[in-house]
Amino acid sequence: MRLTPDQISAIMALLIPGVAGCLLPLAAIDKDQNTQKWIRAAMFFIALFALMGCFFYVTSLWGKGAQPSFGPLRMDRLAQFATIFILITAALAVLQLWDHLHQEGWVKGEALSLLLFSVTGMILFCSSTNLMLLFLGLELLSIPLYALTSTLRQRHEALEGGVKYFITGAVASSCFLMGTVLLYGMTGTLDAAAMIPLMPKLGGDPMVLIGVVLLLLGFLFKISAVPFHQWTPDVYESAPHPIAGFMSVATKGAALFALIRIFPAALVRQEGILQGKVQAALILVAALTLILGNLTALTQTNVKRMLAYSSISHAGYLLLGMVAGTSQAFIGMGFYLVSYLAMNMGAFGLLTAFGLAGGRTTYEDLRGLGWKRPELGFAAVICMFSLAGIPPTGGFYGKYMIFRELIAQGHVGLAVLGVLASLVSVAYYLRVVVALFLEKPLPSAEREASEHPPLVASLASGTVLVCGVLVMLIGIFPGFLSSVFAQRAVQEGLNLLR
Amino acid sequence: MISTWINTHLLTFLVFAPLVLGLILLCLPQKQAPMAKLLGFLGSLGVFVISLVHFLRMGGHSYVENLPWMTLVNIPVDYHLALDGLNFWLVLLTTFLTPLTLLGTWASLKERSGLATALFLMLETGMLGALLAQDLFLFYLFWEAMLLPMYFLIALWGGEERRYASLKFMLYTLAGSLLWLVALLYLAGKSGSFAPALMAQTALTLSTGIQGILFLAFALAFAIKVPLFPFHTWLPDAHTEAPTMGSVILAGVLLKLGTYGFLRFALPIFPGATLHYAKPMAILAVIAIIYGALVAMAQKDIKKLVAYSSVSHMGFVMLGMASLTIIGTQGAMLQMLNHGVSTGALFLLVGMLYDRAHTRMISDFGGIATRMPVFTFFFMVVTLSSIGLPLTNGFVGEFWILNGTYTSAFGWGRALACIAALGVLLGAVYMLWMVKRAFWGAANTDEHSGTAHLTQDLNGREIAVMVPIVVLIFWMGLHPQTFTAISERPVAELMAPFQPDAPAKMAEVAR
Repeated sequence: MRLTPDQISAIMALLIPGVAGCLLPLAAIDKDQNTQKWIRAAMFFIALFALMGCFFYVTSLWGKGAQPSFGPLRMDRLAQFATIFILITAALAVLQLWDHLHQEGWVKGEALSLLLFSVTGMILFCSSTNLMLLFLGLELLSIPLYALTSTLRQRHEALEGGVKYFITGAVASSCFLMGTVLLYGMTGTLDAAAMIPLMPKLGGDPMVLIGVVLLLLGFLFKISAVPFHQWTPDVYESAPHPIAGFMSVATKGAALFALIRIFPAALVRQEGILQGKVQAALILVAALTLILGNLTALTQTNVKRMLAYSSISHAGYLLLGMVAGTSQAFIGMGFYLVSYLAMNMGAFGLLTAFGLAGGRTTYEDLRGLGWKRPELGFAAVICMFSLAGIPPTGGFYGKYMIFRELIAQGHVGLAVLGVLASLVSVAYYLRVVVALFLEKPLPSAEREASEHPPLVASLASGTVLVCGVLVMLIGIFPGFLSSVFAQRAVQEGLNLLR
Repeated sequence: MISTWINTHLLTFLVFAPLVLGLILLCLPQKQAPMAKLLGFLGSLGVFVISLVHFLRMGGHSYVENLPWMTLVNIPVDYHLALDGLNFWLVLLTTFLTPLTLLGTWASLKERSGLATALFLMLETGMLGALLAQDLFLFYLFWEAMLLPMYFLIALWGGEERRYASLKFMLYTLAGSLLWLVALLYLAGKSGSFAPALMAQTALTLSTGIQGILFLAFALAFAIKVPLFPFHTWLPDAHTEAPTMGSVILAGVLLKLGTYGFLRFALPIFPGATLHYAKPMAILAVIAIIYGALVAMAQKDIKKLVAYSSVSHMGFVMLGMASLTIIGTQGAMLQMLNHGVSTGALFLLVGMLYDRAHTRMISDFGGIATRMPVFTFFFMVVTLSSIGLPLTNGFVGEFWILNGTYTSAFGWGRALACIAALGVLLGAVYMLWMVKRAFWGAANTDEHSGTAHLTQDLNGREIAVMVPIVVLIFWMGLHPQTFTAISERPVAELMAPFQPDAPAKMAEVAR
């Protein structure tokens, strides 16, 4: 079989991180942390190099306006947008991992390799309309993440979190597979695009409904929507900080981009019972996610668990975009995800930048740190206010666009719930600001700080600053991101399906 | 070159110059705090002078800047700033109070005063932007942008309960503005624009019930900021805990943005709903007047007393607007300025007292008059203006408001005017009673607190701060036309839909 140039350029984006992921273990063969520093640096460099190479490749595709495809694998604008999103998140995570793993004293190349495999899976997940390929992508992105959660074996929570994630994730994956099987059985095709003309006839069939719901469940688990969210806080708490950030941003993003591609086009936007029921389920899930995520986040004492619940609540806002279901709402979701990338990677990176390794991630540990590193504190404040959705930060415009479409579609009640939820969220995001600037450090922390020299985490600090600047830039020039990138991604990407 | 740019982009310059200056000050090291304060003061003084010079030369022509900014989810957002009769004096008040406050609180903050100055300048940007913005989305952005610097001013330099007060301030204000945002988005979605004029046209096509709900959402956001009676509880906490500069600008300008929002947006966009809800608004305003005065009377802390007097005074502004008469609204416009000047001055004076004695309890003082005669002179003048003594500014505003309410076409006008007049009386009672106990009574004999610390009268800097205020107080009292002439026409246009040229309709709703 000979591949055409079009087909090659479609799979290149998958090949680059995949091949780099295979190469990395060669550089990482060691059992007991004996590697020289330059070898470690080389591993990180290979990972970054692969991510950057892929990034430049995909941006050049975007620049040329090329939308190659290889069977059901479509590297269209939407997939390119999602790929760029995932690659930037991964690159930030790699930079933060360098500092975090050194703080933990457990620098292993496997982590990078797993991360790259996960990235490959995510790109596959976002760029396919074939349910079987989607399942492959789902597994390829999930399994490395299970292992990544338990990377830091010396922490006793690590294994627990990994196993918890693995078991629940496996159930969700099997649900997804079952949904695929049912839909295949009823329609005779695995391609979501090909299912469209068949759906109106089958709309009333309960098997189709069950299939769609099981499929949806797989997605909802990945974006940690209530009631499939229980794994989130435990897993985030036990995972290395950058990996937790990566999971919260990239996994959620990949699942939502895939959802944007598959759901509205193939399954929901059909007349009849199916749409009403799936819509109702989405509304219920989104409302529960908003309420539960925000209220539980209020009671947390650990910043990482708070961020976990905050990521649940952000899944709620994003699902509101799915509820609205117009292309304008999808543009809003794309916009929201990009600003979420910046603000959440900033928030998780903050923990690494302040050198809070291990379980020392409570509000107490943050006390007074803002004055010690004012530039980081400033970036943290920007990220927190953006997470809370206060203008003029990027987070505000994401919410603005989604709420605007939601209201235009007549869901005013949901929009009111959404703004009330973000009001609640202000209270817990401000706690971080209060801890950073308003509270004096504990005496024990002071003593420790004077005994041990402060950990220098220049790469992680750099990423936090970049994130802060990015959040502000998105907030000051929202029109640029929304019309130049998100709008073209959604409109040109979805046109292929119609 | 710069001066020509300023000439053509005066409003942009006014709004963003403090922000740029603030960002520069933010980058100065902490050791340079005196330098930062000096730069902040001179910079904001420069902004004031430029605004004054340009505005006085304004003559007939008005300042407008209108550019398309961006299109988000199919709705265009304009960068539309304009100076007109409604915001003219409020803008000047803001640029005037900023350098004055910075000078007046020069020595108040011991720690990180450079940072406080920077935040204060950013706050000025938010206030000026909100006052000048003509596009509702732009207004919303500036409205929210005022929150953050104020939050940090309270949270970082506040008193004992600063964390509670700052959080309460944040959550209360956001609660109103977020629900307002939903209404704004609803209306913008219907009209496809954020321009108030287009929104008003669209609002007319909506059903009365929806208009009412939208108006209430607008009103809630503004009423919390004013603050109107049941939503006022954040104010005393915020005022008491905030550092002096925060209190001054909070009372001086921030609260005005609530009433200004009513005048600028809520009334013209929803004339029908305004007519319908005028009565509840007036009743709440009268409750605020009486309740605020009574609670102020019971206070032991001078600053808290002034804070509650704010609730009472802002009640007058709301009452004047709710009367929907031209004279009442003109009175409200003037009362906004009065309150900004007098209450701002009161907070400054209380701050000066606190800097010396480190207490604000009335019972810790007594006999201030004998120890600080100059201070007492200024305090008395400001007190009398706050009470509304004829010849001072307070009198004209309150008189016009009561006049407007009494003569309004509403059936409830006379009764409410009479009750509100009682509030003027109560105002005299709590202020003078406080002055009597703190300034004239027997001195507190305790060696370690209160009066004993008052060894120095006002210095030159503090006198320099108070003199312009006193001049202004008498100017506004003796010749209020200076300050109301420009708003005559816009207010008349604003009130035109409510005037009894449709008497039947008025009577019907009023009943």
